[in-house]
Amino acid sequence: MPLDTSTYNLALLRVDGRRWNELRRVHAQIRTQAAADGSSYLEMGHTKVMCVVTGPTEPGPRRGGAAAGGAGGGGVGSGGAGGKAEIVVGIVIAGFSSVDRKRYGRGDKRTLELASTVSNALAASLHTNLFPHSQINISLHVLSQDGSLLAALINAATLACVDAGIPMTDYVAACTAGSTSTYAANDEGADPLLDLNHQEEQELPGLTVATLGNSDRVAVLVCESRVQISRLEGMLAVGVDGCKQMREILDRVVREKGVRMIQEGTVEKGVGLGDIDMD
Amino acid sequence: MASLKRSLDSDPLAANISSKVYVRSTKSGKVQKIVREVYLRQDIPCSSKLCRRCLNTSPRDAAGQPRPFVLSEAPAGTSVFQQGHYLVPDTNAFLTAMDLFEQDSAFYDVIVLQIVLEELRNRSLPLYNRLISLTKSEEKRFYVFFNEFRLETHVTRQDGESVNDRNDRAVRKAVAWYGEHLAGTGAPKVPAVVMLTNDRDNLRKAKAEKIPACSLAQYVNQLKDAEALLDMIPDTEDQETIIKDKRPGDPLYPEYFTISKLMTGVKNGLLHQGIFNVSLYNYLEGSIRVPAFPKPLIILGRENINRSIDGDLVVVEVLPKDQWKEPSTQVIEEDAVTKNENPDAEETGDIVSEKERKTLQEEVKRTQNKTTEGHAQPTAKVVGVVKRNWRQYVGHIDQSSVSQSSQQGRKQDTVFVIPMDKKIPKIRLRTRQVAELVGKRILITIDTWDRSSRHPTGHFVRSLGELETKAAETEALLLEYDVQYRPFPKTVLDCLPKEGHDWKVPGSVDDPGWRDREDLRGLLICSIDPIGCQDIDDALHSRPLPNGNIEVGVHIADVSHFVKPNNAMDTEASIRGTTVYMVDKRIDMLPMLLGTDLCSLKPYVERYAFSVLWELSPEADIVNVRFTKSVIKSREAFSYEEAQLRVDDHSQQDELTTSIRTLLALSRKLKQKRLDAGALSLSSPEVKVQMESETSDPIDVKTKELLDTMSLVEEFMLLANVSVARKIYDAFPQTAILRRHGAPPKTNFDELANQLRVKRNLDLSVESSRALADSLDACVDPSEPFFNTLVRIMATRCMMAAEYFCAGTQAYPEFRHYGLASEIYTHFTSPIRRYADLMAHRQLAAAIGYEGLHPAVRSRGRLEAVCKNINVRHRNAQLAGRASIAYYVGQALKGRSEAAVEDGFVLKIFSNGFVVLVPRFGIEGLIRLRDLAEPEPAAEFDAETYTLKTRGSREVTVELFGKVRVNVMDQKDEVTGKRGVKMELVSVY
Repeated sequence: MPLDTSTYNLALLRVDGRRWNELRRVHAQIRTQAAADGSSYLEMGHTKVMCVVTGPTEPGPRRGGAAAGGAGGGGVGSGGAGGKAEIVVGIVIAGFSSVDRKRYGRGDKRTLELASTVSNALAASLHTNLFPHSQINISLHVLSQDGSLLAALINAATLACVDAGIPMTDYVAACTAGSTSTYAANDEGADPLLDLNHQEEQELPGLTVATLGNSDRVAVLVCESRVQISRLEGMLAVGVDGCKQMREILDRVVREKGVRMIQEGTVEKGVGLGDIDMD
Repeated sequence: MASLKRSLDSDPLAANISSKVYVRSTKSGKVQKIVREVYLRQDIPCSSKLCRRCLNTSPRDAAGQPRPFVLSEAPAGTSVFQQGHYLVPDTNAFLTAMDLFEQDSAFYDVIVLQIVLEELRNRSLPLYNRLISLTKSEEKRFYVFFNEFRLETHVTRQDGESVNDRNDRAVRKAVAWYGEHLAGTGAPKVPAVVMLTNDRDNLRKAKAEKIPACSLAQYVNQLKDAEALLDMIPDTEDQETIIKDKRPGDPLYPEYFTISKLMTGVKNGLLHQGIFNVSLYNYLEGSIRVPAFPKPLIILGRENINRSIDGDLVVVEVLPKDQWKEPSTQVIEEDAVTKNENPDAEETGDIVSEKERKTLQEEVKRTQNKTTEGHAQPTAKVVGVVKRNWRQYVGHIDQSSVSQSSQQGRKQDTVFVIPMDKKIPKIRLRTRQVAELVGKRILITIDTWDRSSRHPTGHFVRSLGELETKAAETEALLLEYDVQYRPFPKTVLDCLPKEGHDWKVPGSVDDPGWRDREDLRGLLICSIDPIGCQDIDDALHSRPLPNGNIEVGVHIADVSHFVKPNNAMDTEASIRGTTVYMVDKRIDMLPMLLGTDLCSLKPYVERYAFSVLWELSPEADIVNVRFTKSVIKSREAFSYEEAQLRVDDHSQQDELTTSIRTLLALSRKLKQKRLDAGALSLSSPEVKVQMESETSDPIDVKTKELLDTMSLVEEFMLLANVSVARKIYDAFPQTAILRRHGAPPKTNFDELANQLRVKRNLDLSVESSRALADSLDACVDPSEPFFNTLVRIMATRCMMAAEYFCAGTQAYPEFRHYGLASEIYTHFTSPIRRYADLMAHRQLAAAIGYEGLHPAVRSRGRLEAVCKNINVRHRNAQLAGRASIAYYVGQALKGRSEAAVEDGFVLKIFSNGFVVLVPRFGIEGLIRLRDLAEPEPAAEFDAETYTLKTRGSREVTVELFGKVRVNVMDQKDEVTGKRGVKMELVSVY
């Protein structure tokens, strides 16, 4: 068994060899499923998620029922009636995604909460008012879990929405931040940490933050562990900084895909794509 | 359709990302495969002050501060590595010789590899914690190099390679990299990087790869003070010969016999039943006293002790003669031997850990070397437990058994709890709140002790508070000695007189309270007690009679008037049994109102009393005795000191003082008579802790002074007790509550007698109490006045405990009180603080026809139960009081600025240490050989002459009864967090 998070101070190295301000390897692809309106695949370290977006479409017969089944929920906007599109997020966590095989039921509270958080986060950026009486279905599939799950879900959903061509203000980029010592240790000199993996999430306090594009506007802030208030500011600063890095990565993925699509002739270089840098 | 590509292969940085794959099994037996990312990097510094390159890329924390480099630019050299060297030990080096690395004389500039740290953590958490604290100390210069994260030193496991081989290869690779890296610094004197391992294969491979490597022994030999350090290296041979023949999960302990087998065995005399006692100094040795043999049987080793805990009622089987052994002469403390065990690691298999096995091995060697076979004593093994004596134990969590990750307290963790009572083994505790409980006094119970578990398993009951706070420690003592300390319930308080503190002896003699009471208010009665005594039980008077004889009266508080049999207050008092005196606190048997006011024979007020009135001849022979309930008015409450001053001051000729003088003169005669009859004057070291009046912090320790007035009170109390005992026995031959003190078995004194004969050429005869008293008187050393007291203290420990009993349960000759040399005895004089006295009061009242005998004091079965309870309570109260004094002595020592150098005497000698008694503080302390000097001096122990002679690093000769000077201080053991009085030998006289 490897060492735990308490050895950070010996050499300023985290359990997986990263420094305090380093993200894990992020890999992302968009348009992974041709049949869908929008799709993406995203890896943050060993956390792997897939996202498929359908819509905006007419609302289905079941209100709030996720297209992909599984743990559905998190409808934002008042559906057809309110003049805004409803964002319906469904999350399916694969039984094989964590170390122990585990069934995640339909009504799993944690999954429902994740779905609602993702839905709220996207509502901050998507121009849902353009699609009254319709619904946008986002189904997320978790293939592998190694910490920062919520952040990965938000990032993947953003990419898929971009792919689906739904108008939005900017990327919603998310990542996690933590602190090198536990609440009980009450160490004032604790370093903030960027992008927690599963082990760090288990042992250390952490939060998930998502920002809108390049601004410092925070769209999501979730903190479920005890941490001294004095450390929060540092953690938040590091988290927001991580979100900016994440936005760059997502932006690069989209642009690279765009370039390739034009080269392959899938799309014409048109007015709508005029602002894409072509080198 | 776009395909999902293997993302890693396309990543240009793939070379920098590796993964760590391992398989682990959970508690429930599930096997999990864990894959973790590993980010390889090149900015992990070598941390040598010689290296400039690493300095430029050295990492910074969030505040922008770089870590200072650790390894010295000019490390020490050895005879082989003249140019200086850095050490790279492997896991085994730390596992076997952690003590060596903690030395001050050598082992500086050590590179601890990440892989080594990981392995060590898995093998032994306490050792891991010790190593971490070494890396934090600045002067030792230990640097943790994360070899697994550095690109150049990362090693992936090859096909068919075992994990151990892979780890060894990783160590070699790191050493090789360090060598090259340092050579590249261009420093004029490049230090060698030396791998330290005891693994032969690894050494051979290192040689082949031209990597500097040594075994521990080879390395230490290159050092200057090799001699001393070599002792600390364990033999590698030893380890290889120990074969683990037991499979994980196999039971570690032999199974108990079935109940029916035990029963028939005991009935046939093949098996023996008795209470299991653990030796105070050696936790692997216990003894059991069985009716079949005069001497206790010895039970040696974990396997034979077979899960019994001190106080359990067990059944044992005697072992064959070739396994008989001498009782150990070694001190073996559990903390020291097993301190590196992991609480989680039950699968290690062997019941007896290697270290324990080694300590036992030394024992066996010693016994077999002996030519005199006569010393071997019969040994036994436990084959069944009839009744567990498990209770709740007070203890604290062993800091070193706590893993860092559990400090935050979310997941369940297993830790060891060290009980306060040294005789109780460590207890495994599973808890989710380690973080909160570390550093607290906690109360736990033992649940089970499985055959497959080395230590018993328990669960947490509650926390008493921070360690070493007064409240927590006092409560801990009370709990540990089972003292009932909760406030009195309302039902009890309802039994008190309605008038409260305004209660007075009725003015009118016609009041029912006066029925059959004698009016003794006119007598010159006074009380003599310790300073500050509030619960005054007894008062005295004397006056000359016209016929030349003297009337002496002992007046005892009439508690039975207030406490009626079988009401709530009586029941509570019978459960409490006695008042417990702690240094800073008194736990009363009766509510305050009675104890310190209404019953207490305070001066200047009228009080009900129960009086014993004698007519004594001037030679102190009893002419006549009578008992009566009475009303008295004490003229004065003296302290012992005041009374003594008054008696000694010849200008004081008032009636009261003269009567005290008369009493004093009589008491001397009484004492002489008692001594002539063979009463023993025993001794135990008693001290008093002086407290600061405001904060009640202990400031000083004083030995108790003996005054004539103390002996005055004592003699008349004894006289009263004896007179009352005779009276109630005459009246109730079946149910009288009496107190007896059995004659100790002669074998109890064997060792002391032998010690005295060998060391001082003195004879101790134990035929009768008279003979013993005389031979104790003869035990004097003209040059050492304390020697006599010392022998008395040791003799006291050979005695039996006195006990309460019901007259019908024993034959008359068994009534004898050995210590007081009295045929019959009871307790009558302290009814406020002892329940036995209260019962004696009731019986005496019935005996003189004052009142009818209540059924509660008539039923023998009930009386026996009460006696049994108060015997236990009495003993616990004494122990609690002593423990409280010991604790405060420690606290007083802690408060001192300078260490206290005091005279002490050697009470007991072991082959690896000795016990010293310091009379000044009334405490005993163990001094082990390894405390004498660093490194531990070699020693010769002569069991025949009780002499311990050390050689090497310190040369002293310690003899039994010898006078030594010791440095007494209060010290906390950093590893276990236990605080205790610690002694250091300064010199031997």
